[in-house]
Amino acid sequence: MRRGLIGWSRDEVPASVLEGRVARLQETMRAAGLGAALIYTSFARPSAVAWLTHFVPYWNEGLLLVLPAGAPVLLAAFSKRMQSWIRSVTHVGEVQSVANLGRAAAKVLDERVPGSAKIGVLELDALPWPVAEPLLDSHATQLTDMSALFASMRQPADATEIKLAHRAADIAVKALGSIPPGATRASQVLAAIEGSARLDGAEEVLPGIAPDLAAGTAMRRLEGDLPLAGRYAVEVSIAYKATWVRIARCFSSNAPQSWLDAQGWTSDWATRITGDAAGPPPGVTTFWTLEACVGSKPLSVVASAVGPRGTVSAGTLACFSIKLQLPDGPWLAGAPVIIGSGAPGRLLVEY
Amino acid sequence: MEADGIDVLVVAGNPWRGDYLRYAVDLTPTEGQVFALIEREGNVQVVAEHPAEAARFQSEQSELRVTWSPAPIEDTEAAIRSFVRRRIALAPLAAAPYRLASGPLASSMATATAMLDRLMLRKSPSEFAALRRAAALADEGYAVFREAARVGRPEYALVADVEAFFRSRGCPENFQILASGGREVRGMHPPTERRLAPGDLVTTELTPCVDGYYAQICRTLAIGSPSEAQLGAFAVYDEALAAGIAAVRPGATAGEVARAQNEVFRRHGLGDYVTSEYTRVRGHGLGLYVDGRPAILEDVDLVLEAEMALVVHPNTYHPEAGYFVHGDSVRVSAGGCEVLTRTPRRLFSVPGG
Repeated sequence: MRRGLIGWSRDEVPASVLEGRVARLQETMRAAGLGAALIYTSFARPSAVAWLTHFVPYWNEGLLLVLPAGAPVLLAAFSKRMQSWIRSVTHVGEVQSVANLGRAAAKVLDERVPGSAKIGVLELDALPWPVAEPLLDSHATQLTDMSALFASMRQPADATEIKLAHRAADIAVKALGSIPPGATRASQVLAAIEGSARLDGAEEVLPGIAPDLAAGTAMRRLEGDLPLAGRYAVEVSIAYKATWVRIARCFSSNAPQSWLDAQGWTSDWATRITGDAAGPPPGVTTFWTLEACVGSKPLSVVASAVGPRGTVSAGTLACFSIKLQLPDGPWLAGAPVIIGSGAPGRLLVEY
Repeated sequence: MEADGIDVLVVAGNPWRGDYLRYAVDLTPTEGQVFALIEREGNVQVVAEHPAEAARFQSEQSELRVTWSPAPIEDTEAAIRSFVRRRIALAPLAAAPYRLASGPLASSMATATAMLDRLMLRKSPSEFAALRRAAALADEGYAVFREAARVGRPEYALVADVEAFFRSRGCPENFQILASGGREVRGMHPPTERRLAPGDLVTTELTPCVDGYYAQICRTLAIGSPSEAQLGAFAVYDEALAAGIAAVRPGATAGEVARAQNEVFRRHGLGDYVTSEYTRVRGHGLGLYVDGRPAILEDVDLVLEAEMALVVHPNTYHPEAGYFVHGDSVRVSAGGCEVLTRTPRRLFSVPGG
């Protein structure tokens, strides 16, 4: 539960861009015959509502109601005195402070949506029960899952989102660069990353560390501290204005040649994904994932070594992560990428 | 589980509500949904939505059976079906997803959630050891915050300094909101780009987490010498906090603790400012969730018991000073109340020029 700077810069995220995204959703809704869309947001699942309205809940929950026309309505489980803050960071029509999200949503739907209309719910299966129960009591026959529909229009990323991703990636790279040379404890690494990224305006910083690569590549969320081995790895996930990227790198005072080869392969990876020059990475691939924002979670696995093997459209903003077993031991990397099609894709960071 | 007739307890968690999962299986989700299926005999299987989370859980507890799935609700549903003739319960209500909650497990949720709530309300000595360390870290964190609060710095830089400090001390979680300014400030929020200015009050609620347990400190500082109005406001909040803490004892209700604080405001002619128009709660429970039970509100009749942990904070708007916060973490002891927070109850001031 750790949010940093939450602020709406109209230069970086113009209202017209948010309105354009809402219009795209409304067009999709009309084509699918939806009379309303309900999108849940919380600390854990902020991304769909943030993409449409720029609202990021630092705690608590909300529901966004989108009708086929007009500005969205935000139902927020925040006290009324927080309305001015919500207004300052959010582009919506109406903001209602409500005690019970589900009941409030049922009431608004009663008032504004015809009884026969279908109501699309993003990730209906995952809707928290206290929110879902009142809706089921009142509108059970109207509710339908709209996750696939939303995912179909969520990517490719627009120019605004790509700029934000570049900024997030720059913050992450600088944070990784702030790790003190000769650090001997994991806490030194994490403190440097945290301080650097937040001073650069990160909205969220989620660092993970594998303090001894030879012992394991799992990214730890440390409670306490651990000594760093000669080879360790760090992953940092950064949100900037609700746009998330994930970057991972290995660290060693004496990087072996196999690491340099793997880094070279990773640099070329974005162009290889077009399929034109797909060569295998060095060593043995032990795992890989491709993540993108396709719903309410910041990053979801859309493809991986063991499935799913989803189709990713050209222009998708994604994060690629890979783990290799090299002659010198385990190695891993991760970087944000714009997926190409025909033309090469491109990494957002230098490798 | 045995007393409540539960053979298999399914506990749901996510980065927002990970407290029940942490209590039940000592796992803290940071991304996606996580479900733990806990058999009364001790077997535990965990379904995580993200492969990195699954790998982390497995590295933290090698004895767990951990899988990852991009469709964790479906996979958990299938795992539940595999338990034949077992009494299965789902918890907590707050994190139970519609698909699992709307089926045959619907009737189990209230009982299972209440069972865990009961267990989580009173803390064991080891839980209080973590809470004490968290309270001490909150004190240290507030000292860092005071050093960070200087004219011209943006609010988010203060949080950066505090978060970096907490990381340097091995603390992975902190809930912190703040505000700066004058009478126009009505509440706290995540940090903004606003830069501190002479004459500001700077409020913060700082809540570091140690071994999963959150402790909280609320304090207000002035940029420059405090004004008469600011000092006058502080006196009211300090009196209210003392009154609230004095009311904490086994057998008292959460409502009585709230009333003790609110009466101070009413005596000072500030009764309007303890309503929901201006404030949320007069404190709340502490533990594995940052805003736990009970809410300290006048209409909450939950009876306090020894070994519960609370923060008492009469935070609200003051018409002459703006939003003002002041609060300490406490333990309900057999004889009354032990204050865990060590930071002096002062209106701090930092250089204004």
